Parts: sequence; C-alpha cells; structure tokens
Amino acid sequence: MLKIKNITKSFGTITALDNISLNIEKGEFFGLLGPNGAGKTTLINTIIGYLEPELGEVSIDGEVITVENTQLRKKIGYVPQDISLYLELSAYQNLKIFGSIFNLSGNELETKITEVMELVQLSDRKKDKVKDFSGGMKRRINLAVSLLHDPKIILCDEPTVGVDPQSRNAIFEMLHNLNKTGKTILYTTHYMEEAERLCSRLAIIDNGKIIAQGTLVDLINMLEQKETIKIQKTAFTQDHIKLINDMGIISEHDFYYELIVNDKYKQHSKTFIRLEEEGINNEFVQVSRATLEDVFLNLTGRSLRD
Amino acid sequence: MKNIYHLVVKDIIRFLNDKPAVLLTFIVPMLLITIFGNVFGGKGGGPRSKTNIILVNKSNSVVADLIESKLDTSKSLRMIKKYLPENAKDSIFFDEETAKEFVRTGKIMAAIVMPQDFFLDTSSALRFKFYYDPKNEIESAIVQGAMQQTIMTQIPKVMPIIMKRKAINYIGNDSTARFYRDMSRTVTKYFGVNSDSFMQDLTRVDSSSLFSSSTDTSAEANFMGNIIQFENEQLVGVEIANPGVTRSVGGWAIMFLLFSITGAATSLFEEKQEGTLKRLLCMTVSRADILWSKYIYSTMLGVIQLLVLFVFSWAFFDIDIFSNFFNLMIIVIVSAMAAVSFAMLITSTTKTANQANGVSMLLILVMSALGGSWFPIQFMPEWMQTGAKATMTYWSVEAFLSVLWRNGPLSSVYTNIVVLLVFTVLLNTYSLVRFRNGRVF
Ligand SMILES: Nc1ncnc2c1ncn2[C@@H]1O[C@H](COP(=O)(O)OP(=O)(O)O)[C@@H](O)[C@H]1O
Ligand SMILES: [Mg+2]
Repeated sequence: MLKIKNITKSFGTITALDNISLNIEKGEFFGLLGPNGAGKTTLINTIIGYLEPELGEVSIDGEVITVENTQLRKKIGYVPQDISLYLELSAYQNLKIFGSIFNLSGNELETKITEVMELVQLSDRKKDKVKDFSGGMKRRINLAVSLLHDPKIILCDEPTVGVDPQSRNAIFEMLHNLNKTGKTILYTTHYMEEAERLCSRLAIIDNGKIIAQGTLVDLINMLEQKETIKIQKTAFTQDHIKLINDMGIISEHDFYYELIVNDKYKQHSKTFIRLEEEGINNEFVQVSRATLEDVFLNLTGRSLRD
Repeated sequence: MKNIYHLVVKDIIRFLNDKPAVLLTFIVPMLLITIFGNVFGGKGGGPRSKTNIILVNKSNSVVADLIESKLDTSKSLRMIKKYLPENAKDSIFFDEETAKEFVRTGKIMAAIVMPQDFFLDTSSALRFKFYYDPKNEIESAIVQGAMQQTIMTQIPKVMPIIMKRKAINYIGNDSTARFYRDMSRTVTKYFGVNSDSFMQDLTRVDSSSLFSSSTDTSAEANFMGNIIQFENEQLVGVEIANPGVTRSVGGWAIMFLLFSITGAATSLFEEKQEGTLKRLLCMTVSRADILWSKYIYSTMLGVIQLLVLFVFSWAFFDIDIFSNFFNLMIIVIVSAMAAVSFAMLITSTTKTANQANGVSMLLILVMSALGGSWFPIQFMPEWMQTGAKATMTYWSVEAFLSVLWRNGPLSSVYTNIVVLLVFTVLLNTYSLVRFRNGRVF
C-alpha cells in the first residue's frame, strides 16, 4: 500500500537519503531502525509530502504523493519526532484545532476527541494546558492528534524519545492495538529493543541507505553466529580473561566481554567446561540470542548507540 | 478556503489564550490614551489639576486688580498669594523677593509680579514681571501661554484707556476732546450707542471707572466689542469634548496596532519553533493557506483593536466617533492593512522571533516618534516633519485627526488613503517574493 521508490534527497553536500526503496504492505507494523542522523526523519518527511525528493517517488495505493497534493495526506496519520502542539492551549483545544483542519466538526469531532483521549488514557487531563504535561503525556497527545481523522497509515517518528517507562508501555500497547484493528504502521526508532518487540518486518537504515530488511528472523539469520556469549566483567573475571584468548574473538564492553567462539567450541557444553577450567564460574556467563544490535554491528562495524 | 477559516480560528484561540498579548493589544493602549489625553488637556478621569504659581500684586491700579481677578478664575493656573513664614502663626502675602526665592529654590514653578508701576496713570503699557526656572522651560511656556490668554481677554476693557492716553500724549487734550466728540457722533450713528454715556466713558482719563460702570453694558465695551472682536474660540475642533484625547487616541492606537499586528504575524516563528507549523503543513494545509490566514487574521485583529480603542475613547472621553463613522471605518481598515504589510515585511526579512521582535520594536518606536503618535508633529523641526511623511504612522494619524478633529469629509483624506495603500501594495509585494523564495517556512 505504501511504495517508496528510489528516493534520493540531499541537503547541500549531505546525502540524507540515498536511493531508498521500501514496500510496506497493508496491515504491517514496519520498523525503520537506524542511529541518529541516519535519515529516518528525512524519509518520513518525504513520505508525508513535506519535503520534495530530488529523485524517486512515494505512492499510496498507487497515487503519487507530492508537496502540492495535500488531499492524499488524509490517509496518513503523522506523529512528528518533536512534540508539535500548541503548548499554551489545552489538550482539548489542540485536538479541536487539528481536528478541524481534517474537516471534522460538531458531534463527530467531539466523539473522535473523546475516543482518542481514552485511547491515550488522558481523558481526565483534557482541559489542562499541554505545557503542564509530563514528557510522556505530551508524547501521547502528540500521537492522539494524528489519530483523529482515522488514517489508514500511521507514521511514527521516534515516538518514545524522552518518555518514562510507563508512558512508553502505554504507547506500545496503543500502537499494537491499532495495528490489530488493521492500521498500517511505519515506526522509526534507534532503540533496537523497540524494533524487535513491535515490528513484524523492518529495515535498517544507516547514512541514508537501507542496509538490510526483512523479518527479525531473516535479519538474525544473516549472522553466522545466532547466539552470543557474554562474560560479566568483575574484578575476578578481569584477571582470568587473558587465559581464554584461544577460544575465539573477545571484545570488551562496559559491563561485559563478548566472546565469539571458534569452531572448536561450537557446542555450549564445551565452552562452559573450558571456562570453568580457567576459573570463570558459570554464574558470570550468559548465552543469549543475537540481537539487531549484533546485526547492525555486523553490517557496519559500529554500535547503534554511537 | 475552509483551511484558511480554521487557521484564522486557530489564531484567534491562540490570541485569547495569550494574556500578555491581549493586555498589550487592548489594555495598555487604553491606559496610555487616558494618561496622555489628560496631560494634553482632557476631562476624563477627574478634574484637571491646576499649576500653582505665585502672584504678587503691588499695583494700586484697577487694571491690575482686574487682571488678578481674572487670573483667580483661570482653569489651568492656581494663584498662590500668601505663604507661612518660618516660626509664624499666620500666613502673609508674598513680596517680590520671597517670590523670587521660592522660584529659585524650586518650591514653585513660576511667579508673576505686577509691580507698583504696573500701570501708572500716565503710562500706556502694562508692566509684568515673570520669574521662572529655566529648568521648567516647557512648563513656563505653558504658564505664560495661559497667562497671556487670560490677559488678552481683558484687553477690550483696558484698550480704550490705553488708546485715550496715547491720544492725549500725541495730540493734546483739546484735539483729543474734539476727536472724541466727532467720533461719538459717528459711533452713535452707526453702532447705535447712547451718545452721552459713551462720551462720558471715553473722556474719562483715569481708569477707576472700569469696575464701577458695569463693564459689559458700558459703552466702551460695546464699542470695542463691536469693532474688535477677540475670537477666543477654537477655529478647529469646535465641538470637541476632549481635544487632548482626540489627538492622542489615533496616535497611540496606531502605535499599538503596529505592535499587536507584528506580534500576530511573527507568531509564525513561534509556530515554526513549536513544530505546529510543520504539523499543519503535513496535514491538508498548504503554505498559501498559512499566509492567507495570517493576512486575514492580522487585518481582523487590527480592525478590532482600533475599533475597541475608539469605542473606549467614545465611552470614557466623549470622543465623537459616530458622526463621521463611515470615514473613520475606512481609515481604520486601510491603516490595519498597511500595518499588516509592515508586519509581513518584518516576518519575511527576519529569521527568528527574537530578530523580528528587535527589528520591529526599533522601527515601530522610530515611526511612532517621527510620525506623530506621541506628540503633534508641529512640535518638531521642519526636517523631521518632512521625514515624518516617510512613515505610515504619519498618514494614519493625520487621517484620524482629519475625520475626528476636523470632522472632515472622505475627500480630505484621499491622499492619506492612497499613500497608505501604496505602502501596503509595495511592502506586500516585496514580502510575497521573499516568502515565495521560501526563506521563512
Ligand atoms: N533541514 C536540513 N538541513 C540540512 N541538513 C539536514 C536537514 N535535515 C536533516 N539533515 C541532515 O540529514 C541527515 C539525516 O537527518 P535525519 O533524517 O534527521 O536523521 P534521523 O531522523 O535518522 O536522526 C543528518 O545528517 C542531518 O544532519
Ligand atoms: Mg529523526
């Protein structure tokens, strides 16, 4: 339903989007994962028709989006990355203003406002000024505004930045439910946990390029090693880590060492026995499934976080 | 179209929720109109305060007494004649030296002294002494003006005496008597005055009769009144209840119009900052919708603001806005449009709200000072009066004065309207080009 075809967009010398193509099907919860500055917001801006790409085109149900074709945007609910609300006005006034732009009025608008306020669980704060809300509450209103006109596609640009865990979970749950009722969702984030938890399919973007896409399983399967071994960093393990150099490649992180074992230790039992022999107790060792973080590291040689 | 309507409604809601903006648009100008209206003479907000000055009357002349009694009833001056010396129980009359001392030490702004030789029986001129502190030069000028006005109204009464004395000095008693006899015949014939009483009055050489013969019905009053007419009447703004406020309401209204409209237009920057502008543009709103809505909203706000201020001055200061209401409305609308074009120029040529505020503040203050918002431009040197014509403030303020003060017809403000429209078209064209080049959003 949403087709992104060979989009290129640059700002001066920076190529923010470099020949990007994506196909998002109806009812999908599609994730766009990438570090800061990867080009996620620029892509969303192009999809909504706020920015004009130099090359390529975006279409919804076969209709091409342009800066001029504003009516097509009625199909899209856009949740900006930054809180975009009239801070001096109440939540209700905000919803009323933005609702009126989508030609909602009277009872229809009131019903819609009540509905979305319940959805974001802020019905009791309707009359309060947005500026008095917490970061998480602002985020939820920011989202509520985009749902007023019952869009088919929801574009969420990092909707959980600066949000307390409670609001974050509320947002997750909300989006999950919306997706279940048939809404197509495009969700950008730089948190791989969010992408893993929410998205049925995802694309990884870096430096304006899509470097991988598929389901979570597809992406993990790109890795040679589907599991990683982490050794907790303690005063004790620090002394013994040198002794297991021959087991494979050891990388040092803030709180743990990551061990990528060579063929000889493919079986976990062998790994654990060897570590025990070298004096590294099992309680410091953890085997975990590879994550999108590992996929990103594998593809770019960098961590998602920096 | 619907979008523009909804955006205008949005701007109105935002305005009403912005208390400082409402205050600056309506309440502050009302206060200033009240204050300045009273300074330049008005009656709203209680009786006007009088300026105290010392009066020392050393003369025995009746003329001096006449003038003193007239000064006593002055509306703008209060005559202080006595003071309480240190360690004394009763206050005593000022003498010239004490009066001078009071002025010198700043206890009082000015002193008038009518000395003993104020109007000697042989002299033909009045001798006043006026003492003032140059530090209060402006106030002194006002006091002197008020004094002159008071004294001038007495001239018809003093004039015949002075004339007679001059005549005696120049042509001698006999010739003078003959002259007056001929004169009285002529006057009786043409002005219908009783010849005997007229003659009696005319030939009196001393001035003691000024009070005894009732001045208004006396012959010479009739005579002088018939020949010399002192029209103390204002020739312009005849039926104006409150000239001071009438003058200041237009000026202050225009200045605050510029402020409020610039605020309205530069709220674009705020909306850009808030992200709400982008959000609207990501909905079904186009950039043209945004611009149109700002134009319409700002013009509306300006018209409403001006109307509220005029209605305020009607309600509290009896300014007559209704007898020339149609013309007033035309000027209100044209002024609002011109102010909007100014605000759009600022918006399209600056990049941030701070820049816009700084630049507009500076320009509005200069335009207001120069264009006559604060004081009549007649107070300014000629070159500044010429410069005033480059400001849209000048053309608006003058137009308001024309319709409110002179009650002028629309034709009297054609030039003003045309000049304001030219400003509007030029500035709007320029800023539209800037907007089109996408510098602001
Ligand atoms: N308006 C702009 N002008 C110049 N450069 C921009 C602009 N918007 C984004 N960029 C640049 O484009 C790149 C992608 O930015 P963005 O899409 O915001 O990344 P993300 O949302 O993934 O963090 C960055 O290098 C950013 O600096
Ligand atoms: Mg972003």
